[in-house]
Amino acid sequence: MRWIRRGHIFDPTEHRLPSGCEQFAQSPQALVFDDFVRVYFSTRAVDERRKFLSHIAFVDLDKELRRVVRVSQHPVLPLGGLGCFDEHGIFPMNVVRVGGAVYGYTCGWSRRVSVSVETGIGLAISHDDGLTFHRIGDGPILGASLNEPCLVGDAFVKQVEGTFHMWYIFGRGWRRYDTGSPPDRVYKIGHATSEDGVHWVREEGRQIVPDALGPDECQALPTMVRVGNTYHLFFCFREAFDFRTNAARGYRIGHASSADLVNWIRDDANPAWPHQQGEWDSDMQCYPHAFELDGRVLMLYNGNEFGRRGFGWVELVE
Amino acid sequence: MFRWQKLGLVFEPQRVSGREWLSEFAQAPATLLLDDVVRVYFSCRPPPDSQGRYVSRSAWVDLDRRNLFEVREVAGEPILPLGALGTFDEFGTYPVSVLREGPVVRAYYAGWTRCESVPFNVAIGAATSRDGGRTFSRLGEGPVLGYSPDEPFVVSGPKIRRFGDQYQLFYIAGRKWKVVDGRPEPVYKIRMATSSDGIHWDRLGRDLIPSRVEDDEAQASPDVYFANGRYHMFFCYRFSSHFRGRTFGYRIGYAWSNNLTDWTREDDRAGIDVSEDGWDSEMISYPHVFDVDGKTYMAYLGNQVGKHGFGLAVLEGSLE
Repeated sequence: MRWIRRGHIFDPTEHRLPSGCEQFAQSPQALVFDDFVRVYFSTRAVDERRKFLSHIAFVDLDKELRRVVRVSQHPVLPLGGLGCFDEHGIFPMNVVRVGGAVYGYTCGWSRRVSVSVETGIGLAISHDDGLTFHRIGDGPILGASLNEPCLVGDAFVKQVEGTFHMWYIFGRGWRRYDTGSPPDRVYKIGHATSEDGVHWVREEGRQIVPDALGPDECQALPTMVRVGNTYHLFFCFREAFDFRTNAARGYRIGHASSADLVNWIRDDANPAWPHQQGEWDSDMQCYPHAFELDGRVLMLYNGNEFGRRGFGWVELVE
Repeated sequence: MFRWQKLGLVFEPQRVSGREWLSEFAQAPATLLLDDVVRVYFSCRPPPDSQGRYVSRSAWVDLDRRNLFEVREVAGEPILPLGALGTFDEFGTYPVSVLREGPVVRAYYAGWTRCESVPFNVAIGAATSRDGGRTFSRLGEGPVLGYSPDEPFVVSGPKIRRFGDQYQLFYIAGRKWKVVDGRPEPVYKIRMATSSDGIHWDRLGRDLIPSRVEDDEAQASPDVYFANGRYHMFFCYRFSSHFRGRTFGYRIGYAWSNNLTDWTREDDRAGIDVSEDGWDSEMISYPHVFDVDGKTYMAYLGNQVGKHGFGLAVLEGSLE
């Protein structure tokens, strides 16, 4: 696979954003229309506790992914209510067309006391081509379960031959790696299937992609695209601690391929594309989203600082 | 017609020594009948931390089968450790309900975690015992019944039953957090799920018991007992605010059903109310009905939701 680096495309600090957000355009997710591409992302406001709240917004781009057509000016989906799983943020939201509707699979964040956060996967549905979404309920469709005890999130859903497949992450647990530092978590990529996109059967604790960095590798934000007869799963991975500012331990984009959606062979060398020092994505590459656009295979992703300055893209050329 | 003849306070945690984790409270009694004793599981607490926060543990007390007011043994340790950092039961395992299956005793329990905007959240875990119910091991680090679109938080208070060829789990699910005097208080309703293996659960997805005293009535401890061709449920309910005293505090309610899913609520038939004075004069809650040698008993909590333990009443008349 050879990818061409197309560059940075959207900087949230150059636009007026809804919900009082100013920075971050994280985890871009595409919804393709006839004459434009709507890219949802998570952007951040700061609350009265001086903590971040992630909100969903979108930007419409022309189909060459060069020009911003518009930026959403109203909340796409408000945050959850008091005590709900998505009270303190929605990040990310994966969008899928199902009939005439758009299903939004959210990752909801709620704050904890002994650890920073817990997450769950929610479902919100849009009947206006993705301008606004409404939850099917106040709670998650997938949360912590017997063998996936925490931090279920980052859903990516795709229909393959009539079956809904979901790749997502689940937490293995939290650990304090250094006395005095806050606890860090380890999460892995899991898989579930569904007949209706609402009720899911999980593989329940099976890590589908082997580790490259050892048992404490963190794997996040899976995205799947089919090229020819092969399924390709992209994701990002990092070390479990000291990953925020240490570029050597931060997010990189990983890859695995499969012929049957069951067995995955990891090959991180494949998604590599050349990058230079001092660029927007030179220290970190994360939160990939692969999709097809008029026969082309593209991948959106975030760069340094987890996407504080937005996202760019690469294109598969061979 | 039936009524419950009160027999008095049977177990008072303050009288137990040498167990810091069993300093006060003996909540949500649930029984397992053994050869010589009735093992009563309950949940208790060490003293609160500097911020007034409690951790709940669960344990058991063995009552002599021929004289339920004679304590034969108290668990030396809690039946389950607390959950790992960041898991659903890190800050409490309360309450517990047990079911014997040959050499194994299954337990379903509510696990507690602490949150920032509300004080806590709760989900239901499962564990098994292979030593006759003295100690238990978790089936997994996560919950067996967590949150769902219409049961978004506080999935708690499990009561495990097996009527026919399925398992039934009666439990409560949070409906909303209601801010009372600046403090979020959960409103919860009685729900049910069924399972063929005790691990994968199908939720019924609706409230079993209509609310009576107010829309935001909180309902708990759905204890289902089969007698005379009919299912009988004793539960407790309270107002959503100012419920820590006599006027708006917990009372025991009653409902019956022929099919486990459609229930008729008739609280005036419950046959038990608060006393004029004494340990259960302000509130009564967390009923559990069980049989011992031809008699039917109810274990229940009194004032301060079991801070000073649980008592017993014996059935007079028959449940029909």
